[in-house]
Amino acid sequence: MKSVFIRTTINGKTREHDVRPNMTLLDFLRDELGLTGTKRGCEVGECGACTVLMNGQAVNSCLVLVPQIDGQDILTVEGLAEGERLHPLQESFLDHDAVHCGFCTPGMLMSGKELLEHTPNPTEEETRTAISGNLCRCSGYQQIVDAIRETKAAGIEKSK
Amino acid sequence: MKPFEYYSPRSLPEACALLAEIGVDARILAGGTDVLVEMRKPGSSSSKAVVDITRIPLLRGIEESGDEIVIRPLTTHAEILHSKIVERHAPLLRSAVAGIGSPQIRHRGTVGGNIMNAAACADTVPPLIALNAKVKLLSSKGERTVELSEFFLKPYVTVAQRDEILVEIRFPKLPANARSSFVKLGRRNALSIARLSVAAVTAITDTGVINDARIVTGAAFPKWQRVPEAENVLLGQKPSRTLFDEAGKKVSEALISFTGWRWSTEYKEPVIAVLVRRALEACK
Repeated sequence: MKSVFIRTTINGKTREHDVRPNMTLLDFLRDELGLTGTKRGCEVGECGACTVLMNGQAVNSCLVLVPQIDGQDILTVEGLAEGERLHPLQESFLDHDAVHCGFCTPGMLMSGKELLEHTPNPTEEETRTAISGNLCRCSGYQQIVDAIRETKAAGIEKSK
Repeated sequence: MKPFEYYSPRSLPEACALLAEIGVDARILAGGTDVLVEMRKPGSSSSKAVVDITRIPLLRGIEESGDEIVIRPLTTHAEILHSKIVERHAPLLRSAVAGIGSPQIRHRGTVGGNIMNAAACADTVPPLIALNAKVKLLSSKGERTVELSEFFLKPYVTVAQRDEILVEIRFPKLPANARSSFVKLGRRNALSIARLSVAAVTAITDTGVINDARIVTGAAFPKWQRVPEAENVLLGQKPSRTLFDEAGKKVSEALISFTGWRWSTEYKEPVIAVLVRRALEACK
C-alpha cells in the first residue's frame, strides 16, 4: 500500500502529510494529529459525534477517506475558539447549560456553526433540521436548540 | 480498514483505463457514505484498490438540455435539494433527497452512489424511475445507455459491470400540468431507512381527467418498478379519494402477487395502499 501525499488546511493552518489511504478523516484527526475534540461514536454516519466542517459544510469525518481532504479546508471543534476566547456559540452552550455528558457537544457545535454561517437567524425548525444528524443521548435537545438560536445575537454584537 | 492502493484519476479516460487494468478488485469511491461503511464491516470483502472518482470535474452538476434534465452522478443530495431546476421540473426528486440521512450525509452522499449501491431503500430511485430516467455507463470498451427501470436486477445487484462508471442520469422534464410527490415511511424523520416509499406523478387535463399516471414503490417489490395495474385505474378518471384508494389496493395486490405472503405482508398490505393514496393526494 503506497502512502498518499495530501496538502490540506486544518483549522486555518496549512499542513502537508504523507498518509496511509486506508484511514478516515476521523482516524487522521484523532490518531495522527491528536485533535481528539472530534469524537468517535458510531463510525457509520448515524450519530454525528465526529462532525467537522469541510469547505464550510458539516460532514461525518468517519465517512471521509483521508486522501479526499487533499486541497480541502477542514474546521474542527478545536478551531472555534480564538486562543482563550471561546466562540460565541460555545459561550451560548455554556449559558444555556446545553452540555450534559459532552460527547455530542463538538458535533452539535459544528452543525450549529454551519447553520449560523448561512442562516444567522434560524427558526426552531431550521435549527432542529440542522442538528438532525447529531444524536444526544442525554436528551438535552431543547437547551442545544436554544443555545444555537440565541447565539446569533451574541455573534452579531461581537462582530460589530 | 484493510490496506488498499488508492487512485484518484482526474479524467474519465484515466478512470476507465484504471478500472480496465485493475479489474474486479477495484472499488469505485464517490461520496463514501455507503462504501466506507461497507469497507469497515467485519468480514467485508477486501478491495485491492480504491478508485476515487470525486476529482473528475465532468461528473458534477445539474443542467437543462432541451426538454430533458441531466444530472451528473457526483451531484450530492444537498445540491439536488437546493437546485431550482429540480424544484421546477422534478419536485418529487427534491422531496426524496430532503429525507435522505442527515445534513452531513446529504453533503457527501451522491445520487450516482445511491443508484450504483442499489440498496432496496435507495430514496432517489423511485422518483427517477417515475421520471423515466435513463443512465449512461462508460468503460474502456465504450458507453451504453440503460433505462433505469431495467438497470436493477435485485437489491445491491445491477446490470453495471465492475469496470463501468455511471456518467449521466437523464430524464424528460415533467409536463407543465403534471404534479408529483414522494412519501416515505420510516421509523423517524432523520437518519431513517425507508421501510416503504411511493413516488407518484399525475397529470390532469383541462376537462379534469387524469391523462398521465405513474406510481413507483420503494422497498416493497424485489426491485423497483412502476405498477401499471394501479396506473390504469387512474387514467381517464377524475381524481377522488375513492379512486386513489382503489389504486392503492391495486398496488397491494400487485405486491402480494410478486412477493407471496411473507411475515411482513400483514403489515405492508394495508400500509402500502395508504401510502399510495397519500402520495396521489399529495400530487397537487
